[in-house]
Amino acid sequence: MPDQIEKTDPGIVDAGTVVVDPGLTPEPEREKPRSLWDDAWRDLRRNPVFIVSSLLILFLVILSLWPGLFSSTSPLSCDLSKSRQTSESGHPFGYDLQGCDVYARTIYGARASVTVGVCATAGVAILGSVLGGLAGFYGGWWDSVLSRITDIFFGIPILLGGLVFLSVMKDRSIWTVVSFMILLGWPQIGRIARGAVITAKQQDYVQAAKALGASSGRIMIRHILPNAVAPVIVVATIALGTYISLEATLSYLGVGLKAPTVSWGIDISSAAVQYRNAPHMLLYPAGALSITILAFIMLGDAVRDALDPKLR
Amino acid sequence: MRGSTRAKWVVSAAVIAMAATACGGSSDDDKGDEGKGGDSKGIVRAYWSDPQNPLEPSNTNEVQGGKILDMIFRGLKEYDPKTGAAKDAMAQSIDTKDQQNFTIKIKSGWKFSDGTPVTAKSFVDAWNYGAYLDNKQLNAYFFSDIDGYADVHPDKEGAKPTAKTMKGVKVVDDTTFTVKLTQKFSTWPSRLGYKAYSPLPEAFFKDHAAWLKKPIGNGPYKLESYVKGQGAKLRVNAGYSGTDKPKNGGVDLKVYTDGNTAYSDLQAGNLDLLDGLPAAALTNVKTDLSGRYINQPAGIIQTISFPLYNKKWGTEKAKKVRQGLSMAIDRKSITEKIFQGSRTPAKDFTSPVLGAPGGYSDGICGELCEFNPTKAKQLIQEGGGIPGGKMTISVNGDTGSHKDWADAACNSINKVVGNDKACTTNLVGTFADFRNQITKHEMTGPFRAGWQMDYPLIDNFLGPIYKTGASSNDSLYSSKKFDKLLNQANAEADTTKAIQLYQDAEKLLVQDVPAIPLWYQNGDAGYSDKISNVTLNAFSVPVFSDITVK
Repeated sequence: MPDQIEKTDPGIVDAGTVVVDPGLTPEPEREKPRSLWDDAWRDLRRNPVFIVSSLLILFLVILSLWPGLFSSTSPLSCDLSKSRQTSESGHPFGYDLQGCDVYARTIYGARASVTVGVCATAGVAILGSVLGGLAGFYGGWWDSVLSRITDIFFGIPILLGGLVFLSVMKDRSIWTVVSFMILLGWPQIGRIARGAVITAKQQDYVQAAKALGASSGRIMIRHILPNAVAPVIVVATIALGTYISLEATLSYLGVGLKAPTVSWGIDISSAAVQYRNAPHMLLYPAGALSITILAFIMLGDAVRDALDPKLR
Repeated sequence: MRGSTRAKWVVSAAVIAMAATACGGSSDDDKGDEGKGGDSKGIVRAYWSDPQNPLEPSNTNEVQGGKILDMIFRGLKEYDPKTGAAKDAMAQSIDTKDQQNFTIKIKSGWKFSDGTPVTAKSFVDAWNYGAYLDNKQLNAYFFSDIDGYADVHPDKEGAKPTAKTMKGVKVVDDTTFTVKLTQKFSTWPSRLGYKAYSPLPEAFFKDHAAWLKKPIGNGPYKLESYVKGQGAKLRVNAGYSGTDKPKNGGVDLKVYTDGNTAYSDLQAGNLDLLDGLPAAALTNVKTDLSGRYINQPAGIIQTISFPLYNKKWGTEKAKKVRQGLSMAIDRKSITEKIFQGSRTPAKDFTSPVLGAPGGYSDGICGELCEFNPTKAKQLIQEGGGIPGGKMTISVNGDTGSHKDWADAACNSINKVVGNDKACTTNLVGTFADFRNQITKHEMTGPFRAGWQMDYPLIDNFLGPIYKTGASSNDSLYSSKKFDKLLNQANAEADTTKAIQLYQDAEKLLVQDVPAIPLWYQNGDAGYSDKISNVTLNAFSVPVFSDITVK
């Protein structure tokens, strides 16, 4: 991403750096003026919240890509005779009701959460910014229709929608859940993207490009996209955590992922009723879920601080 | 002007919204009254789950519907709460000389809760209604021994009934009717306490829709209201003539979709009686309820049934797989770890409460009900493996902690076949939904089936479930040999010989495996400190009429 933005820089600079970021004062020792992105990156590197959350997320991503590195036990091989036993050597988190290793299940559960979170966010961001962006750029009836569709989807409470839509799906995989989240989640991004594009469209450099005879496609990709994408990224990063918790919520309610997929939500659901006699069954998956969501929300916060100069 | 019109619209919308919410408020107020009872005797609040069908006695073959029918109907016989022995309720006498022709006299003076008298005609009409094909009653099977059943309920698919009533049942006078059976059937009168044989008032036939909304019966309680998904209110039927007059003011059955929620409600004092405790509560129930907990043997067996109508499961080859699956389930560990010993691994298709003289035997199933991973794997492989490589065990989520054991059974099967993902649990939200899928024969894989006996005879564990075309034959199992043995057994006057024949029939089931016997279930219940004198009958249903409220 940054490479592409670097390339677009001349266009922006031509049009007038001041418009892109009025608060920007080029440092004397650098020849090239810094863009919004350079600035944000410099900010982020110094932000401890960003560093901690990125390290956590990096760890989670490794965990979900190669869970086998961390646990040699299979999360699905269970020994009923060890039902609800607490920790023992080699099995630090103990066993759940079915005698499955809680540590292994917690490790493997990260994959479902991170996959759903990342894919749903990516899908929502792409679909939302394309639809919202087009609506904002072209305006007119295209905008009206899309805005009303956005309103309709916006009106469906996501949890209620999940209970209704997902409960009728017999075979639910990770992708079913992801598609559902994208379907109901894109309006939020769509609205923001539309707003951002409308603001960017009225800038002088866009008018200049138009006057010079640039095509719509060129204006959109070269001038508007790089300047409208920041708010989308901020909202999407914060939403990532929300989507992870939404997956866990849906799985907890029995309409999300299904066994044999290992998911924290499913485990929390079955552990909740055993809480009194085997609290370890609940604490570990719930703790892992909380830490994951916290990490993504912290990252989102840090990114917002960096990209949204008005808040500073 | 335009502005003011808009304002009007906004105001009226707000008014409507407020009226709507006020509506919600008033129903809340109703709930508030509930606690006060309004009666001098208190109301028992008991756990329930929605029944599958409208409450027609001949169309209810599941436990939750049976629970409420038991309260609003009384048949010719009733079963002793302690021993389960059949004794006369509405029947004055049931006489026979040849075990085939019966003369039934009923007690006079009994009334339905709408005031109309219960006559011989009430029974005869009800039975004819239940048997008639076009009425599509689930329990029609229970009339199949009556002469003339074949005319009103022909076996062949697509065949039309040639008569409206069975020629074997005749009204003699107001209190007498006669029944002719198709063959000798010595224990037939003991069946008559089952709810399918209940009498129906004239109102049932006159205004069927109204009756379905508010069933009228002749039992100790009358139904005041039933709201699907919420519950039913039952109050004492003042005109009840039976001996077991209720000692409380009534019963409110509250619908729950999760046993654990009900258990929390019981502890919090929002529920008085919970029968069938959730497995997660079993560890702590004794201390939680300081002894207000009943756990006793009951006539319940849990099985996994196979959809034999499905190509994958019904073939001769799949039989080996079914046998293998039976041996792949570690019943002992599951009963100990999941159910804390409140279930006993099954060794036949009946229940120990029948006792050895009644036909229970621990030697029927033999090694097919024993956990044997090596043999199980071998049998499953010989049968071509699990059909399609994957299977689900379907269970309902709202009663009996079925997901817990189904997960454990699946893990046990998965270990045997060496594939972590071969078997998974398919959770169906509610009992009513689950039963609907089963009775419509929509199952594509094994599903949970539990059998709570209707009358304490071995025949009840075999006939209604496995006989061709029987009311609860959810697998659509059909074996001529089995049917023949059962008919012979029913006709046999000598009990020992009859039992022998029943057990021979049972052995056929072991080989054919239309279902896997899992375990015998104890009946259990927990209750609040507001009620006392709580007992479970031989069918593990609470004896509601005996309960007293403080």
